[in-house]
Amino acid sequence: MKTWQWILLGVLLLITLVLEFTVLADYDSHWWNAVPAFYAIWGFACTVVLVYAGKFISKNIVKRDPDYYDR
Amino acid sequence: MIAEFFAIPGIILIFGAFILPLVPRNVRSSLFLVFPIIALAIVITRPDGYALSATLAGLELVLFQVDALSRVFGIIFAATALIAGIYAWHIKDLGQQTAALVYAGSALGVTFAGDFFTLLVFWELMAVSSTWLVWARRTPSSDAAGMRYLVYHVFGGGLLLAGILWHYSTTGSILVESLPESTAIASVLMLLGVAVNAAVIPLHAWLPDAYPKATITGAVFMSAFTTKSAVYVLMRVFPGWEVLAWFGAAMAIYGVTYAVICKDMREILAYHIVSQVGFMVCGIGIGTEMALNGAAAHAYSHILYKALMFMGAGAVLYATGTTKLVDLGGLKKKMKWTMLLYMVGAFSISGLPLFNGFISKAMTVDAAGYAGNETAMLMLLLAGVGTFLSVGLKLPYYTWFHKEDSDIDIKPLPVNMYIAMGIAAFLCIFYGLVPGALYVYLPFEVNYEPYTVYHLVEITQISLLTFAGFWLLKKKMAGERMIALDFDWFYRKPAPFFRKVFVNAIDNFFGWVEKVVHGWAIHISGKFDNPMKWLNPFAEKEYEAKTYSPGLDVITAFVLLVFVVFGIFLFI
Repeated sequence: MKTWQWILLGVLLLITLVLEFTVLADYDSHWWNAVPAFYAIWGFACTVVLVYAGKFISKNIVKRDPDYYDR
Repeated sequence: MIAEFFAIPGIILIFGAFILPLVPRNVRSSLFLVFPIIALAIVITRPDGYALSATLAGLELVLFQVDALSRVFGIIFAATALIAGIYAWHIKDLGQQTAALVYAGSALGVTFAGDFFTLLVFWELMAVSSTWLVWARRTPSSDAAGMRYLVYHVFGGGLLLAGILWHYSTTGSILVESLPESTAIASVLMLLGVAVNAAVIPLHAWLPDAYPKATITGAVFMSAFTTKSAVYVLMRVFPGWEVLAWFGAAMAIYGVTYAVICKDMREILAYHIVSQVGFMVCGIGIGTEMALNGAAAHAYSHILYKALMFMGAGAVLYATGTTKLVDLGGLKKKMKWTMLLYMVGAFSISGLPLFNGFISKAMTVDAAGYAGNETAMLMLLLAGVGTFLSVGLKLPYYTWFHKEDSDIDIKPLPVNMYIAMGIAAFLCIFYGLVPGALYVYLPFEVNYEPYTVYHLVEITQISLLTFAGFWLLKKKMAGERMIALDFDWFYRKPAPFFRKVFVNAIDNFFGWVEKVVHGWAIHISGKFDNPMKWLNPFAEKEYEAKTYSPGLDVITAFVLLVFVVFGIFLFI
């Protein structure tokens, strides 16, 4: 990833945040609409949880050698 | 009647499978495409309420029945058969071609079946024909996986049949109609039978077991029909069953978790089907008009982009001979077009704006929220993150990027593969830009606008931060040589033991019985090869049958005497 690509993504995020606090300021259909930048937090938190949970489950429970069933 | 019978979409394709072997080899692939086109034309033009009935052994069967719900599934099934047919155009394997036609035809048959008997016939046909698409790969592992797949589906079909018989004997009706949520044995058996095909956890293990081992083109067909025809039946028979909402949401998360864990392109995609079908099953469980619309729309979109992604993964397998992420990477220069087309599918499945996932996924997820089930909604949002993470970022990153260049020799792809992927990618973008083109076919009226500021903000924030999280943690998802255990462990690992108990032990018992019986036969025939040894103690012991023996005179004379005595008694 080049720097300008990161900047582009940052700008995009900024736009969504601005929209959230202006156009969507009064939007309320779920309890989490009260949490600022909820979807950004949710996206990041879920990624971290899935990667680490996946790693944990893989390492401790389900990972086997490819010839596991043939032995 | 006969003409109408041959105008049933499913029958057209199955009939095509009989025609195909009769035409010259090099026309078959092109002729293959004709049947889905005819079926598509019929599906689109038949009006709502059209029905074709027949009577069999006193049962009133409805062979072909059209309404909005069956039409939307029929259109996408016929269209996918066409696209996958183009993708498989270069294949010269008659077995695969006929199996694919029968498979697509029976999926269409299930969709338009108005009674359970017709549905069951097509249902079983679907299981048998799709098995061939696994076996056609002709490797020892695909042989074994195909057999497991077949046995699992025969089991599921058996559950469905048992449920249908029970249902018929208690209600007297075999019409396909929605059943009220209950714990009646008939309904539960039918639900379990359909759940096998819908890959509802924990009955899903056949899917990630068989699909990655199917042929390159077979997997494309399989990704579309089995699970989605089961989704259709769930939607038709079990709408609003609350248990499905929770199983669906759990499937969505279970599938993506495995998609994050697995390290093989087609395995990741297969697990991801479980996750995506979870969205649909959840929508069916919620059961509001919006949720059912969302589930139908999502099935429609999903078939398109999942077929596209399986075509992309198949293209990589065709070109490089492997789908293991650990062996891939750096293909971005050598397989640029495949990458771009795959990414259209990946962006679609991740629900990014301007792609068709956006217009259907948001609908299902929102329907959960509107129905007051915010927990299910958050579960689906979590699964959505996992979708982008696993098939939208991890898979393409470790296939096409990750390394500067790849030293794998690339076998050039047939043009028809690009054409098929191009059509699917075009449709993904088309429906993303023109949601109305899909919404008009949905079973209920649609009052839903996907392109709102709220949705755009939501999906942009989620996707950006998922991407950032992936970039930070991507090393943790790198390819490895491994397999992941799943519920198939319960029947694959004890298999040697069961083989020992139920096959080898019984074999050995039969062997023992055979030995004993033969032993007796030898013993007795040995005794009787010369009865004189014990009948006449004075006879020569070294007697041979072919030489004359005075002892034989004694026996013959005795037998004659008996006849004479009997004769005398009889006549007196």
